[in-house]
Amino acid sequence: MTRPPRRPRFRHQEGFTLIELLIAMVVLTVGILALIAAYSSGYVALNRATRVSSARLVADQQMERFRAVQYAAIKLNTTCGTSCTEDATFTGDPAYSSAAQVTGCTTTDSTCLPTQTTTGPDGKSYRLDTYVEYTCVSGTLTTSPSLSCGSGNPYPVKSVTVVVRSSTLTAPVREQSTFTTFPGN
Amino acid sequence: MGLTARARLSRRLGARAAAEGGFTLVELIVTLAILLIVVASLSSVLVSATRTEVDANNRFQAQEQARTGLAQLTRELHCASSVTVTNTAGTSLAAGSSGSRIAATVPSSCTTSGGVTLFVTWCTSASTLNTSDWALYRVTSTSAAPLCSASGTVKWADYLTTSTPFCLPSTTAACGSPPVLRPSGSLPMLHVTMPVNLKGPTATTDAYNVVDDIALRNGTHS
Repeated sequence: MTRPPRRPRFRHQEGFTLIELLIAMVVLTVGILALIAAYSSGYVALNRATRVSSARLVADQQMERFRAVQYAAIKLNTTCGTSCTEDATFTGDPAYSSAAQVTGCTTTDSTCLPTQTTTGPDGKSYRLDTYVEYTCVSGTLTTSPSLSCGSGNPYPVKSVTVVVRSSTLTAPVREQSTFTTFPGN
Repeated sequence: MGLTARARLSRRLGARAAAEGGFTLVELIVTLAILLIVVASLSSVLVSATRTEVDANNRFQAQEQARTGLAQLTRELHCASSVTVTNTAGTSLAAGSSGSRIAATVPSSCTTSGGVTLFVTWCTSASTLNTSDWALYRVTSTSAAPLCSASGTVKWADYLTTSTPFCLPSTTAACGSPPVLRPSGSLPMLHVTMPVNLKGPTATTDAYNVVDDIALRNGTHS
């Protein structure tokens, strides 16, 4: 009966090489960073959601003002100087049409201002653009010689579009509503 | 024959055992110590991150609740036939004064009335979640607008930092800040201010101020 020779236990142990250690540390770091990234992306998403719903509230508030005023009072003031300036951002919006725009307001009520800066519920500043345009439920809008949607079609209605812009919003928040005239309105 | 086979097997096993380099106790202890330091520093980061996350979530929820409350209030008041702002005891307040309670009459044709003429109260009462905050409640009755102390109140928002969110502006008496006047010839409107803050009314940060002017569309232009 032959036995294999016993080898000494503690001689041939190998430690970790520097490479192994580095790899282990890199793997650990990647794991930790992924964990931190998960938290921070959650936080960023929450902040973005707050911004969007704040912008939505700003738009709601502006639209609600139009619900209170009379149909005849739904118009913009484009002649009040600097606070009524329609810049390239305003005129570049798909809701803008210089021909169909309803103007003639002489006050600086917030329903009359094309562009204004307002503070949202979160205390941040938002740019609030308001478009008031004539639109047709059916037919094509013509403005000359008189405002009409073509014979046999109902009279044009007013379409109000509220656009809230902010550099921190990925896309502007838009809201659109149509206003018609009824007796007493 | 059998003996040789056994000897061969035992040699093979012995060789394998010898090839396994185990860890020494010292190595193990050093490794554990390093791991402990790493985990300890990591866990403090995780704990604070979790706390921030929970805090942000609660704040978002409180804000969302205020927005939902306002949406429901708007829906109801668009159809209401009469709205008065009162104090907690139910005494009507003059235009331009802020009150803690509104009494609205909602006709049977409205979606929120449930088919009968409904007397609806929206009011604030001390919050049960934060001692210095206020909560927004809705309570209804088919006979007369109840007070906030009535039974059956339903909470719609919490963590309000004001007890008087309601105000009816006139063409001369303004509400809120910046002041809001009712434009001449417009429908009556209710100015609602609902500042929400989980940290209470005295906190200077994290305030979320929900403001709206709700048009009472069943009213008359004046």
